Amino acid sequence: MWMSNSLLVFLGLFSAGLVAADANPDFMSVRDTVAKEYRNQEVETAEKYFHESSFHYHYDGRFATEVLPEEETIPHLSALIRTYLSTMKDIGVETWIMHGTLLSWWWNQKIFPWDNDIDVQISEPSMHFLDEYYNMTEHHFDIPGVEGGRTFQLEINPNYVIRSTKDKLNVIDARWIDTSSGLFIDITAVRKDDEKREHGQPGALMCKDGHRFDELDIFPLRNSHFEDFPVKVPYEYTKLLQEEYGSTAITATSFKGHEFNEETLLWDGPKLVHPFY
Amino acid sequence: MATYPDSESQSFDLSDDTSDDGMYLSSSHHKPAAPSYKLSRFTGPLIDYVRNEWQTNAKYAHLPSTGDRRRSESPRWIQMIMSIVTAPRFRRYVLVYMSLFLAAVLGWTFLLSPQLQEHASLLRALDPQVKQEVGGWFGTNALPSFDDIVQLRTLDPALLPSHAVDQTGEAIPRRLIVIGDVHGCKVELEKLLEEVTFNHDHDHLIFTGDMINKGPDSLGVVDIAQQYGASCVRGNHEDRVLLLRHDMMATNVTRADTGDEHFLEQDTRERQLAKDLNDDQAKWLDTCPVILDVGQIKNMGQVVVAHAGLVPGVELEKQDPYSVMNMHTIDLDTHVPSSSRKGTKWTKLFNKHQSLVYSTVKSGPEGITALQTVIYGHDAKSSLTLKPYTKGLDSGCVKGGKLTAMVIEADGEQKIVQVKCNDYSGK
Repeated sequence: MWMSNSLLVFLGLFSAGLVAADANPDFMSVRDTVAKEYRNQEVETAEKYFHESSFHYHYDGRFATEVLPEEETIPHLSALIRTYLSTMKDIGVETWIMHGTLLSWWWNQKIFPWDNDIDVQISEPSMHFLDEYYNMTEHHFDIPGVEGGRTFQLEINPNYVIRSTKDKLNVIDARWIDTSSGLFIDITAVRKDDEKREHGQPGALMCKDGHRFDELDIFPLRNSHFEDFPVKVPYEYTKLLQEEYGSTAITATSFKGHEFNEETLLWDGPKLVHPFY
Repeated sequence: MATYPDSESQSFDLSDDTSDDGMYLSSSHHKPAAPSYKLSRFTGPLIDYVRNEWQTNAKYAHLPSTGDRRRSESPRWIQMIMSIVTAPRFRRYVLVYMSLFLAAVLGWTFLLSPQLQEHASLLRALDPQVKQEVGGWFGTNALPSFDDIVQLRTLDPALLPSHAVDQTGEAIPRRLIVIGDVHGCKVELEKLLEEVTFNHDHDHLIFTGDMINKGPDSLGVVDIAQQYGASCVRGNHEDRVLLLRHDMMATNVTRADTGDEHFLEQDTRERQLAKDLNDDQAKWLDTCPVILDVGQIKNMGQVVVAHAGLVPGVELEKQDPYSVMNMHTIDLDTHVPSSSRKGTKWTKLFNKHQSLVYSTVKSGPEGITALQTVIYGHDAKSSLTLKPYTKGLDSGCVKGGKLTAMVIEADGEQKIVQVKCNDYSGK
C-alpha cells in the first residue's frame, strides 16, 4: 500500500553537467570514504535557503496559499511521515525521530493532535548521500482515500556543507515536502562536533540548530513503531526526552487543554464550553 | 596479717602526727595521760577521736572555706555560684553534659532529621494527592513496543523452590539460584556454582543481566547459562550489544568499513562482541526478557527479577524497558527514573511503597502475596544491598569485587554466597 512509485525527476541534471564541464571536479563529488572536507572552511554563514510561507511558518509557500483545515492537518502529517520513512527505508538511509515527534511517540506512538511539524534526523554522511543522488527528487505515493495520490519532494539545503552553528538561517538541512499542501518535515543532519572532540569528548555530536548529543545517546537506534509504521528512535530515548522537555512532559496527562485518556490511550481534545450552560 | 609490734608502731605514728598538729597537747588537758588514750584507742568508738581540727588549725587556712570568709564582701549568691562552678565535680558534669548535648545535636542534624525528612518526602512522593498536583506519575503513557525486545516473561512454576518428590519417593529440595552481574567472568562463575553446590537437576539458575561484556570470556558465560537452561533478564550491556548485532545484520556487517569516518568510535568493544556472538548465543540472549516474573515465593511475595530496577506502582507490562535496564535514582515528584546517581535511590521509594502496600494488605485475604520483591543487579557501586523488598546482587566482580549468588532454599529461606574475583578492569 505504501510502496513508493518513485518518480525521480532530476531537475538539476542539465545545469550540473554544464558546471562539471568547465571546472575542476568538486572535492565532495570525488570523495570515496571521507564524509566531509577537512580544508579550512572560511564560509561560516550563507543566505537563507528554505523560506517559510507568509501565512504560516510551517508551510512551504511555493506549494500552498493557505493553511489546511484543522481536521485535515493530522492526516496530512501522518501521510507525510509515513511516506518519508518508507522512502528512506527504500533508499537505505538511516533516519530517526527526535524532539517533539519523539515526545509524541513516547505518549502513544501517534502525532500529537495539536502538532503541525515533524522532526527527524539523519547522519551527516547520509546527508551527503541524499544530496548526491536524491536532491530535488519527487516521489509519488498512492494514498488510500486520496484520489490521484500525492507527490512529495526531497529538497536538500545546499548550505548543509557549512558546518557552523553560526549559519543561523540554514539550521534545517533538508525538507520532505507534501507538494499538495505545502506541509513539510524538517530534516537535520547530526554531525561530529570536532571542536568538542578535540577537548576530550570523543562522542560529541551536534546539529546546526545548536542541539548537542553524544553518540551513545543516539546509537544504536531502536526499532519501534510510529503512526503504525516502523520507525527508529534514539537509544536513550527516556533520558533525551527528560533532558529536553523535563520530567513532567513525560508524565503529566494534560497539555494545551488536551487530556491523555488512559483507557483509549489517545489525547482527548479541549472540552467545548457551551456559552449557554 | 600484721604482727602486734607493727600495729603498735602504727599507733605511735598516729600520735606523732597528732602531736605535730598541736592538737594532742590541748586534748591532753582533758585526758591527762597518753597511755589511757592508747588504751581507749582499742576500746572506744571511732567518733571519740574526731577532733575537727580543720576548723581551728591554721594549716588548713588555704582551703576554700577560709577563702570564702576573706571575700565575704561579695553577695551571697555569687559566692554560691562560684563555689559550685569551681567544684571539680561540677566541671566534670559540665564536660559530660556538653558532650551529650553535642552528640544529640549531631545525631539530630546528621542522622535523625534527614531520616525523618526522607521518610516524609517518600510518603509525600507516594501520596495520590501529589499525583494530582504534579499532573501524573511516570508510566501512564501507552508503552511503545520495540522489535527484538521481550518485555516480560513468567518463570515456569515447576522451577520454583519446593520440596519435590522424585520417583523413588525421596524428597528433593528444589532451589533457585539468582546470580548478579557476571560480565564475562567465567572462571568466577564456575567457582561460584561450585561454592553453592549447584545441581543441574534440582536447582534453577537466574541471571540478573549484564552477563556479557567488559570481562574476559563473555561467550563462555553465555555457553554455561545455555547449557544449564538458565533464566536471565536483559541488562544494559546485552541491550547495546544485541541492538548493534541486529543493526549489523540488517545493514550487512561489511558496510561498517568506513574506518575512522564512521560515527561510532566509543563502542568498538561492543561491536566486536556483537560480531563474536554466534547465532545460537545471540538468539538465546534475545530471549532474555526485560523483566522476569519469578512468581510467589514464601515470605517474599511475588518475586521479580529486573536488571536495574522498577518504578513502584507501575504494572510490569507498563514498565519502560530503557529505565528498567538503566535506572539508579527516581524523581520523587513525577516518579521519572534516571540513570544518573544524583537523587533518591529507586530502592528507597520502592521499599516505602511496598511497606505502605503491606500495611493495607496484611489483614486482607491476599496478605503477603500482594507484595513484590525485586532482585536486581546493575549497581556495582553500592555492591550487595539487601533491603526488605529489594535485593541488589551486583558486587562488582569484573573490577575485582565479588560475584554474588542469592540462594532461595526450598522453604523460601534466602542465603547469600559470594566468591572473590580477579580484577579485569585494567585489561
